[in-house]
Amino acid sequence: MRPPLWRPVFRPLNPSSCCSRNLLSPRIHSPRKPVVAPCTSPFSTTARLGKRSKGKANAADPRVTAIRYHLQHPLTPRPLHFSRTRYLRHWTIHRAWMLFLRKRRRAEELELERQYESMRAACEHLRLMDDNGMTVPPAEAGGQGADPGTLGPRGKEVGRLYRGAMRKVGIWGSVPVEYARAQVDFPSREGWNHGWTR
Amino acid sequence: MASMAPLRQFSACLRCVRQPATGAFAANGTTIRLLSTTPAVREELQTEKGTSTPPPPPPTPASAQGESRDIPEYMKKWGRLDPNRVEDKRAERRLIRRDGVLPIGSRRRRAAIRRSAMRKTDEIPFEQLPYQCFQEARKILLEDRQEKLKQIETQKLRLKNLMAQDPAVSGGERAKEARIKSMKEHLNELIILADINDPIVKKKFEDGQGDMNKPIYRYLADRKWRQYKRPLLEQRLTQMNIVPDFLPALDTVVDIELAFGRKVIQPGDFVDSSVSEKMPRLRVQSFEQGEKLVSVVVVDGDVPVPEKDGFTYRCHFIASNIPISPTQTSIPFTMIGHRDSKATTPAEKQIALPWLPPWAHKGAPYHRLAVFVLEQKDGHKLDVTEIMNTKRDGFRLRSFIDKQQLKPLGATLFRTQWDDSMAEVMRRAGFGDQVDVEFKHKRVEPLPYKRRTERMR
Repeated sequence: MRPPLWRPVFRPLNPSSCCSRNLLSPRIHSPRKPVVAPCTSPFSTTARLGKRSKGKANAADPRVTAIRYHLQHPLTPRPLHFSRTRYLRHWTIHRAWMLFLRKRRRAEELELERQYESMRAACEHLRLMDDNGMTVPPAEAGGQGADPGTLGPRGKEVGRLYRGAMRKVGIWGSVPVEYARAQVDFPSREGWNHGWTR
Repeated sequence: MASMAPLRQFSACLRCVRQPATGAFAANGTTIRLLSTTPAVREELQTEKGTSTPPPPPPTPASAQGESRDIPEYMKKWGRLDPNRVEDKRAERRLIRRDGVLPIGSRRRRAAIRRSAMRKTDEIPFEQLPYQCFQEARKILLEDRQEKLKQIETQKLRLKNLMAQDPAVSGGERAKEARIKSMKEHLNELIILADINDPIVKKKFEDGQGDMNKPIYRYLADRKWRQYKRPLLEQRLTQMNIVPDFLPALDTVVDIELAFGRKVIQPGDFVDSSVSEKMPRLRVQSFEQGEKLVSVVVVDGDVPVPEKDGFTYRCHFIASNIPISPTQTSIPFTMIGHRDSKATTPAEKQIALPWLPPWAHKGAPYHRLAVFVLEQKDGHKLDVTEIMNTKRDGFRLRSFIDKQQLKPLGATLFRTQWDDSMAEVMRRAGFGDQVDVEFKHKRVEPLPYKRRTERMR
């Protein structure tokens, strides 16, 4: 079956291996005269399929064979097969890479958690601090979380810095407020987690 | 010889045909049996079993030696051909033709092996192969393994401390037990994780050289079993209604392979009556540590009762007190039978009800014969003399399990129906009077208005 015309065909212009011998073989200076490629079909860039001749002239250089082997391929390339040890090496590297990624991800998560916790501890410290810099018991401090503006029994004296820090005015001054949370296609199923407690 | 050579060559070619991972089993339950399937299945068996039984030897040494008489002179001149090293086409062809052995691997690989052998370079062990990325990867994996080993040590220490702790401190007896259980589970997980990334372990397991006494190989074998064989078995058990008909529920945890002689029966296969006349051979692979005592029961669930227009059960076989463990997988009933015949007292016997060949009436629907492996409670021995009195007809597996306090570990099944050899089998088994009984469909007279009349013609 002849290949379709639109497919590139890598075939030596001459059925005999003369052109490859000319290009690639180091034996240019061999006493045998290299066969000159007669242009058999002047109107085509591809070679015609001549009859295969069994002879010494057709015995190709192994390097040429290798190059032709890699240039001439069917539409689907042959499947990539690893040898046994090669596959095992590949597997080892893959497992190690997966392990590495997992460890890195875990370290990142832990770092983020540490940062969050230390920030939270600082805010809690500010909330429980009165104007003299002394720590008061939690019962005397004001509200936290969703209502940081609520004052405690000792009034404005406790947690002044905390209330200031919790003010969100002007934060979104230069950035659209939509960026306050990650944009998703749909709202979450239960809009607000009412049962959340620390 | 001229006629012999192409034949052998053909068989060699057959052996190289790639089999699907299943062995010889198509998805729709039909078997495709080639000459080549049997060794393939046996290899798979080996991989799972992990025992040290040698693989079926390639026909190289023995058969080549045996046939060396009729090898012609010109073939002897070819000299020794190593399937690992033949490089050119002619040598390959000669190897196939003379020795009936296919060359191993790619030509490129063989050439590389041959060249390195010619240069006398010594082989580098797999772990020391000089590939930078590979060595870096190994370093990471080894480091992780060391970490895991340390975690195992601490976990063991913690477990020991918890065991020694007063239950009042750890919040009651039940809380303590729950904690011990979860800690043990975590410990087992760590033990698996310490070895799971080792390429040598993977290689050994794939080669079937894994030691089933080690948890990692048991884990790998279990995983492999659960990937294909167990779903297939589950499908057969549910499609053929083993689960509601014989037992209310079943969670299979052991891999059972049923074979008659050398013929392995896939779950649900029809078995010729002449084949199933002899006792089967079971291979029971358990994936849990330790030895267990099991009972094996074979029940026929489709014994027709024409009077009631229904079916009943019949027990074909009961054997008890059979030890199995991850390394002790084979249950050869024939050998057990020989041992039983030498036993002095009936209590020493293991086979309580001897094998009754499965039989079916002519014209009756096929019989499902289910093989159950039942674990005996706490490894206690059952009283075989008591089980010997079990009646075969109308045997109820549920009551038997309740009475003997058994726990079903797994099941498999095969089917039987009337075939050419059935009459002889029945005569030999002492059911000669049943041979001539034939079941036929009852003719249903069409109702008068459904009759074909002149008008309809």
